[in-house]
Amino acid sequence: MNPHVILRVVAKFLIPLIVMFAFYVQFHGDYGPGGGFQAGVILAAAVILYALIFGLDAAKKAVPPAIVRIGMSLGVLFYGGTGVVTWLLGANYLEYGVLASDPADGQHYGILAVELGVLFSVASVMVAIFYAFGSRQPDLSDEDW
Amino acid sequence: MIPSVLILDITLMAMLVVVAVSIVRMRSLFAIVMLQGVYSLVSAAWFVSLDAVDVAFTEAAVGAGVSTILMLSAMLLADRQSKPLEMHRQVGPLLVVIVTGIALFYAIPDMPAFGDANSPANSYVGMDYIDRTTDEIHIPNVVTAVLASYRGFDTFGEVVVVFAAGLGVMLLLGLNGNAGKWRARPNGISVCSHALPSAQAARGESVASLANKRKTEKAAVEAAKDAGGQS
Amino acid sequence: MDLLSFFPEWVLTHGAALLVVLPLLLGAALAVVPSENAAWAISLIVAILCSLIAFALCVQTFGGESLTYAMGGWDPPHGIAYVIDSLSAPVLFLISLMAVLCLLYALPSVRAEVEPKKRAPFYAAFLTCLAGLLGMVTTGDAFNVFVFLEVSSISTYVLVGMGASRDRRALNASFNYLILGSIGATFFVVGLGFLYMETGTLNMADMARILRDLDGGSRVAQVAFAFIIIGLGLKLAMFPLHVWLPGAYAHSPSFVTAFLASTATKAALYLLLRFTFTVYDFEFNYVNSSVMFLLVGFGIAGMVFASLQAIFQTDARRTLAFSSVAQVGYMLLGIGLGTAAGAAAGYLHLINHAVIKGALFICLGAMWYRFGITRIADFRGLSKTMPWTMGAFTISALSLIGVPFTAGFVSKYKLAAAVAGEGWWWAVGVIVVSSILAIIYMGNILKEAYFREPPIVNGEVVARNEAPLMMLIPMWALALASISIGLNSDVIVATANNAAELLFPLADALPGGIFQ
Repeated sequence: MNPHVILRVVAKFLIPLIVMFAFYVQFHGDYGPGGGFQAGVILAAAVILYALIFGLDAAKKAVPPAIVRIGMSLGVLFYGGTGVVTWLLGANYLEYGVLASDPADGQHYGILAVELGVLFSVASVMVAIFYAFGSRQPDLSDEDW
Repeated sequence: MIPSVLILDITLMAMLVVVAVSIVRMRSLFAIVMLQGVYSLVSAAWFVSLDAVDVAFTEAAVGAGVSTILMLSAMLLADRQSKPLEMHRQVGPLLVVIVTGIALFYAIPDMPAFGDANSPANSYVGMDYIDRTTDEIHIPNVVTAVLASYRGFDTFGEVVVVFAAGLGVMLLLGLNGNAGKWRARPNGISVCSHALPSAQAARGESVASLANKRKTEKAAVEAAKDAGGQS
Repeated sequence: MDLLSFFPEWVLTHGAALLVVLPLLLGAALAVVPSENAAWAISLIVAILCSLIAFALCVQTFGGESLTYAMGGWDPPHGIAYVIDSLSAPVLFLISLMAVLCLLYALPSVRAEVEPKKRAPFYAAFLTCLAGLLGMVTTGDAFNVFVFLEVSSISTYVLVGMGASRDRRALNASFNYLILGSIGATFFVVGLGFLYMETGTLNMADMARILRDLDGGSRVAQVAFAFIIIGLGLKLAMFPLHVWLPGAYAHSPSFVTAFLASTATKAALYLLLRFTFTVYDFEFNYVNSSVMFLLVGFGIAGMVFASLQAIFQTDARRTLAFSSVAQVGYMLLGIGLGTAAGAAAGYLHLINHAVIKGALFICLGAMWYRFGITRIADFRGLSKTMPWTMGAFTISALSLIGVPFTAGFVSKYKLAAAVAGEGWWWAVGVIVVSSILAIIYMGNILKEAYFREPPIVNGEVVARNEAPLMMLIPMWALALASISIGLNSDVIVATANNAAELLFPLADALPGGIFQ
């Protein structure tokens, strides 16, 4: 019998809750403490917990490194792209007011969009750093140097 | 009558000092990583008592959460114990810290009192943000409004900093742990008169052993000269 | 304003933001581009576009006016303002033009030095670094400076570390740079925090106004100044804080060294000028005395001791790295004079040194590319095996020493004139001594190349093997730039004078301008 069975069962309950909490933090950031940075870290923590309990290979099957790589860039592009959209609409860079007919609403949409960019980048980079360290062989033989 | 918040603040700061001193005195890296997590958690608690809830949340998530795991996984690739530093290498940093501390204490008398509503930081731009956010941006959290809109370009820069860190890890380590075996080669013929320093020499090199390295370099040049003379 | 009619109206309006956003966004996109050639081409196009925009900004601000761009449409001090004036625009043009030239040279160089599948992300890191440097110079917001300082620093640590496939010591150098750079950034941000505590704003112009109203401010502003100077001093390799630089320059990929040597310390020097003269005021007692004693003292010490250290290096890259520290000393001496003439001379040397060091490091990279050499002892006979490369190297070396009719002479002469104008004849002596030391260390390299025969490998004399065209173009462009600045320095001296006038508005009143 697997000695980690309790851990596994608990993790299976916990991981969906952690992901839910991450999205709560993300979208509730406009009303209370929270936002893209915190949500990104919590989302990454869910993936890392999965990797710790079920093994790195399983985690890499669930969240492939290629996706992580794209996510890093996607976050920056999403954030910067919001600014490009405001440019195309004839305003200054990141001037969200033009995104809706009422400037204050436009600000709200813009903030939602850029926070999503922050989420993508932060979550992907945290997972990427974990993958990079975790996949490394602990002992380097002399030939590697 | 001392306000209870002040007692709480002093207790938390005293705990921070105790944790920081024990981190410095510790040699076991595992314990150090764990204590760093403790340090982050205590400072998050302290930020809450200072009413900086957003900062506290970030500190708890990043400092106490993810970075502890990342430091542990990095530690697995390195030694578990840090080597003791020689005395002469501790003098320089100690002097820097003392001078920095004196500079900070020198400034304290002229600092505005904590929470002073008339201090420049609380009365000028900061106050304007609080007044304007409800009208100009339809969200109640002023911190988010400042971060993502008023100073949105800073946050964009910070996302790029995070991206650059991820890019760096990807370039130097590789996400599948397979980086670092490729060797650079000159396009023509190599006329280099000596081999690169051996793996041990490269690894043992440190900031302060520059003098040593120069010695080995000189020795290598002389050895190369000798070899040239013999042939 | 004929030159500006080539640019679309929209680009001129949003130029300040475009300059930073373009490399940032395409840098992020390059990280997922699979083809190295496409990544290189995109980087080159971005760099060319950036230098065109920077050129337009130079033309727009040449008359002394300044352009302000409100990020997010929020007017300063509530939003982040990007400010271009005659001090920042030339530095922007310099950085983006050096990026173009270094990228031309990168195509062959990166193929030899970077693992194939890492080349596209490598260019992504380079564009991020470029964006960081441009952002540091463009922004008019003190905290935004810190953010872009970090963007450029973190990508620089990565770029330096990429030298590991050529030389394992690159990892050590990168780590040292990371630790010291982070300490520098921490000092800088603590200083900014204190400044915010004193003024309640982060906009540089606003800070300057409030500090002047407070007549220099309290002890908090004084400590903030000290912290900011030390933080920037680490970044710009001010003499005792330069220990990260030789390793970083010696072991990083040759393309990265060429780019960093000609841009990174220059952007930090620009910030030093900004904070000392724009945010703070030279009239404040503490600024005056600390600049006079610390900057001049460290500058002079660097000019002498770093030059001496350069003489005793066996590795040509380390020689040039220590020489860079010495040249930073010249710029600090000019800035520390606290006169318009001094600042103009320092600024002029900043531009000229970028041109000279860029060329020298490109030449050294080409030598490694063909023969795998970096040690001075291995340079024997290079004048016969790589005559064109050696030619460009020689011109730039003479320029570094300060031989008449080269760029180096122009700026050293202006500096000596500015120093003598204050009656500091001893400092003129130091400039002469440091130049003599430069003759010795550059002479060591030239002697090997010109007066010794090429080595014998496998029983045959090494044949002539010139660097590829892609390397010759940038190195000769920079070498010829050195000579043309030496022959006719009107434009560049006018640029430096404009910049100095911005920092010392009183200079207008002096008869005959700054340089008489």
